[in-house]
Amino acid sequence: MNLTNNLALMDQLAASYALGTLRGGARRRFETLARQSPTVRAAALLWQERFTSITELQAADVPSPNVWKRIENALAAQRQPVAVPTDNGLLTQLRRSLSRWRGAALAGGLATAAAVVVGVNLNGQVSNQSVQLAQAAQQATQASQQNTQLVAQLAAIPQIQYVAVLADDKADASVLVTFDPKNQRLTLKRVGSFQEGADHSLQLWALKSGGPQSLGVLGGDPVIRLTAAEGQVREVPALAISLEPKGGAPTGSGPTGPVLFKGALLQTTL
Amino acid sequence: MPSEPQDLLLISLLSRVAARADGAASHSASSERALRELYDLTSSKLYGVALRVVGNRDWAEDVLQEAYLNIWRIAGDYKVALSPPMAWMGVIVRSRALDFLRRRTSQQADAGVELDAYISETVASDAANPMDTTQASEQAWALHECLRKLEAKQRDVLSLAYLRDLSHGELATQLKLPLGTVKTWIRRGIEQLRGCMARFA
Repeated sequence: MNLTNNLALMDQLAASYALGTLRGGARRRFETLARQSPTVRAAALLWQERFTSITELQAADVPSPNVWKRIENALAAQRQPVAVPTDNGLLTQLRRSLSRWRGAALAGGLATAAAVVVGVNLNGQVSNQSVQLAQAAQQATQASQQNTQLVAQLAAIPQIQYVAVLADDKADASVLVTFDPKNQRLTLKRVGSFQEGADHSLQLWALKSGGPQSLGVLGGDPVIRLTAAEGQVREVPALAISLEPKGGAPTGSGPTGPVLFKGALLQTTL
Repeated sequence: MPSEPQDLLLISLLSRVAARADGAASHSASSERALRELYDLTSSKLYGVALRVVGNRDWAEDVLQEAYLNIWRIAGDYKVALSPPMAWMGVIVRSRALDFLRRRTSQQADAGVELDAYISETVASDAANPMDTTQASEQAWALHECLRKLEAKQRDVLSLAYLRDLSHGELATQLKLPLGTVKTWIRRGIEQLRGCMARFA
């Protein structure tokens, strides 16, 4: 049947197509015709356009003021400045660190990998992410590919906006750091085997151009949580951990002991 | 009647929302103000659309929130759209609302029950849904004039078929009407619309 010879039928089908009530085989046949014939296609597009105005004719109603508040919150959450790391050296270093860290996680068993995620994940996707990361750790074949994946997964956790892997001088990752600006929460997870003696403490520093600034003294637990404002962390290129006397360096001074671990701080792009 | 200045205002707001894309903080703030203005001007209208599709105030608010965040992201696309701004935004709301219903349906098997209850007290009742031409584009005005000539129930079935993307069978089930009746109403409704809309083309 040449539909273009029966304009009334073609138009009726075009309108049914646009309305959505033309279904199944009839819909597929019409789509085939529309792809072949500009006339049929034009009729369908015209009806689609006409029917969109049904949305304009619905009675208005007033939504709760909460809706705008929620939109505003969502915008604020997106508003974090997006710093794209330009220093390829830093990126390479991070990849290498992640690779080592993954190795360490494997050596320490999958439980370590899961625990890291439990430690950093604050938004309720714990089990899901743990499983994914455990699976990622299991597939120890394509290391670089997996690291990319790991970075993507870390970046995919919405509230974690900064990540650093702090490594020792042999580039073995020892501490994974994440920062959640929303909750002003720095989370540190020890992934290496280093344990300071009873008379020492580890201290975390933001390496700023004006000199290191203390972000806090680490307790002995495998997962350490510190409070920090975003201003203390934003635009900080790197973090470091030094070995200090028990309780940390005297207030106001820089690190007094050796720097054991350091690494670039990267902002996850949201 | 269609309000062209209103359309021009909405178009300029959409383009200000889109301007944030270059990343400058000052532009971002201006874009957010533009989105707020757009929201003030259009949210009650678009909430009406969401409400009509999902049939529940809380759900419609979720849909509305998603729709504005969607508009925030894709406002730049409007400049290549030929639709009036309200229709363009209305289609976004409808899409988000249909997504919402699909997600709900896939999550729980009894989702249809609540829809039925809502429809039976609105569409299938004798009281016709009022059509509202405030903020309507010229195209919407033409459609309104033509829909007005249909019987109230025919008009509602057509509107519902479009807004909720329902087949004849689904409409019959949801409206508790015989399938033949639904088919006849839709066919006649379209026939009458065709004759009428041709005059506005």
